[in-house]
Amino acid sequence: MKIELRKPEFVMKLDRLGSFHQSKLSFLRSFIREFKDWDFQTHELKLDNSGFGHGVYVVQKGNKQYSLVCFSNHLDENERSDRVIATKWDASFVLYDGIPSSADIQRLKENVPLQEQGRVTEKELCLSRANKSVRVFEHVVDQLSQGQQPDTSLLYNVGYLYRTTAVYGSGKFGLADRIKIQDREELKGPFRLEMMLVFLARQFTFDVVNHVAYHRSPTTSVKLSDDIARNLGIGNSTGLGMAPFIVNHPALLNQWIMAKEKALRAIRLLESVNEIEKNNFQSYLSTIQDNIKYWKTDSDYQIQKNGQLTNDLKDFQKYFNTKKIEKYFWNEVYEWVEKNTHAECCEFIVSLMMEVYPDIVEPLSYEMSINEENYFDIDTTRNIQDICNLIEKQYTWLLEIDFEQKDNIYNFWYYSKNKQEPRLSDRFSEEGADLELPLAIARDIHHLYKGLKKMDPKKDISFYLSKNQQYRHVLRRVFICEQLPYSEIQDNTISKTLIPVDMLRLKLSFFGATRFDPRSDRWVRITMYQGAPLMKEISLSNDNWSYKKIA
Amino acid sequence: MHSLYEIETTVKRSAKSQGLSWGISEEIGKSIRILEQSGLQGLESFKNIVDFGFDNLTKLTDINQKTTTHLCPIHFGIFFQDQSHLKEMHQTFKFESLKEPLISIPFFIKAAKKNLIYFHIHSSEINISITPGEMTSINQNQIPTSINNFSIKVTQQRQQQYSNETWEDLYQLSLETFVEETEEKKLSGAGAGLSDND
Repeated sequence: MKIELRKPEFVMKLDRLGSFHQSKLSFLRSFIREFKDWDFQTHELKLDNSGFGHGVYVVQKGNKQYSLVCFSNHLDENERSDRVIATKWDASFVLYDGIPSSADIQRLKENVPLQEQGRVTEKELCLSRANKSVRVFEHVVDQLSQGQQPDTSLLYNVGYLYRTTAVYGSGKFGLADRIKIQDREELKGPFRLEMMLVFLARQFTFDVVNHVAYHRSPTTSVKLSDDIARNLGIGNSTGLGMAPFIVNHPALLNQWIMAKEKALRAIRLLESVNEIEKNNFQSYLSTIQDNIKYWKTDSDYQIQKNGQLTNDLKDFQKYFNTKKIEKYFWNEVYEWVEKNTHAECCEFIVSLMMEVYPDIVEPLSYEMSINEENYFDIDTTRNIQDICNLIEKQYTWLLEIDFEQKDNIYNFWYYSKNKQEPRLSDRFSEEGADLELPLAIARDIHHLYKGLKKMDPKKDISFYLSKNQQYRHVLRRVFICEQLPYSEIQDNTISKTLIPVDMLRLKLSFFGATRFDPRSDRWVRITMYQGAPLMKEISLSNDNWSYKKIA
Repeated sequence: MHSLYEIETTVKRSAKSQGLSWGISEEIGKSIRILEQSGLQGLESFKNIVDFGFDNLTKLTDINQKTTTHLCPIHFGIFFQDQSHLKEMHQTFKFESLKEPLISIPFFIKAAKKNLIYFHIHSSEINISITPGEMTSINQNQIPTSINNFSIKVTQQRQQQYSNETWEDLYQLSLETFVEETEEKKLSGAGAGLSDND
């Protein structure tokens, strides 16, 4: 039996990438697997009666230590603005390398709540902030202070107490550069520190509600039950800032997708499958079908996708009920799903199949990082014909696009001056297209190709570069794509029909986000760590927590 | 002090703001990052060529070009990085003047390693060899046969090699690649709402 990896021209379309779901490869799950034998402790919690102050959580193993320093500040309602104009937040977080001294905490207190306007140092590793979900926070505190547990239907419809709006790492705002920590064994997987920050921040949200409820009524209050807390994650509100990342990091993107594709192929190649494995799959499927009812969204786009998923899963269930175990069972299942369901369901089933085979999937999570510097340089010894051939082979999809057509160049990406975050606008009615970011990959490779076709094909690409440097930034991508086939999104990222939220969904699914709730075509709310073990029980985690019933 | 990430992105954006292509800007960002990481004053050198003006610098695009005064170290370095695999490049060339030669060095180092070649740069002011080995050689005669009463400081702390004024000037230039947001753009460009009170 020969089964190839799924082809990049199939996988790398945005409508499929925007249908990816969390899986065993997701970073927050691999973080828990990696750190489950570390010691997690609340080191310090200095909050006033209203819950304002700071807390420190320490994660350690041997002489290795990381600390999350959390600050909780008073925020007027009119200051609780979403990320576009926000300059203040209910809570802010910084992950510290080691255990901070009181002088460090004082320094961080003066800077971390300011976020982009503050400065941190190379002792700090990640930075983030969060706002309360006001209706949930107040309800929980109110109920706990009266000695009652909160209304879980309200809680689970939202899914969290606080919602982060950004998690920064890798040298931003003075944070430690990636190079400082990249060789640490425990940080080999992608985004380990960011996932640590979010996991510990979730614990802080529980500690704050318990603390405030207690001080509101010390004699009657109770603590939030572990069962309820476990089913609360931490929210995240994400805009376009995340989208350029996956375009700007083609080698990394390849590693993420390649790990998933290798896992799928390995499972499809399993010749024999037993009843236990089939039943495990069915058990995960049944649980998650129950949990889908908590995926709330007002987005027509996502409502349609969730509806398709629900309907497709019903059809799939009928098929699966009658499907007998035979040779290459999973390959047949996959082929049925690919043929008979939409991308949303197909990728959902792929994630579920991965659940059944931890021995196949989990080792692949260590292949999801890469040294991108190794792919930066252009091999100028190759001749122009070679490059044209590569473009024709790897970028066939873009050669037929007419970039004279307005709709095909409708959008431009730029950095906003006030927030220094990526944005997307209509080039024909908004100013600023002259400052366009180099994210129009399809258009620029198209132009590179046209330019190369006018030159002597036998000449080295160095000859072209001596005369033309305009498309150097995409020329290097052609070489990356030759070595790393899943490095390029195969869609026009400036077309009028682009749905940017698909780009966000791709990245967030690898983070391990659930409950995608797009608030527009370029802004999405999600939940992380819902159902995950609490800090005190992380050592008991068996990695099945994503597939536990929420209620 | 700024992180290497901040140095790379600020240099990249300020190079773009001065009219260089994105591809070249990416190269210079990485080059200055390497210099700063090596404890060399890359950022100050870059600021000097920005102050001198890219319009006043000569791009090397042809090894036989007539004008070679005030050569731009970025294009000079990238030219050799791109072209020095060619056999016809393996000879001695003479140029009139090169601004801020430090900036070209990371490009020569890459070219030397990639093509297993040696660069010997010689003038009355400088005498340096760049080799495909791990060490860039300095004049052997500059190394004494013994040293006395010496110390070695081992630290993880990188030293800032540039003035705060230089950073601020380049940072302001980097902002010129950003687009001023109108109220309308805040909504349409980012797509987010304005209230988080739910």
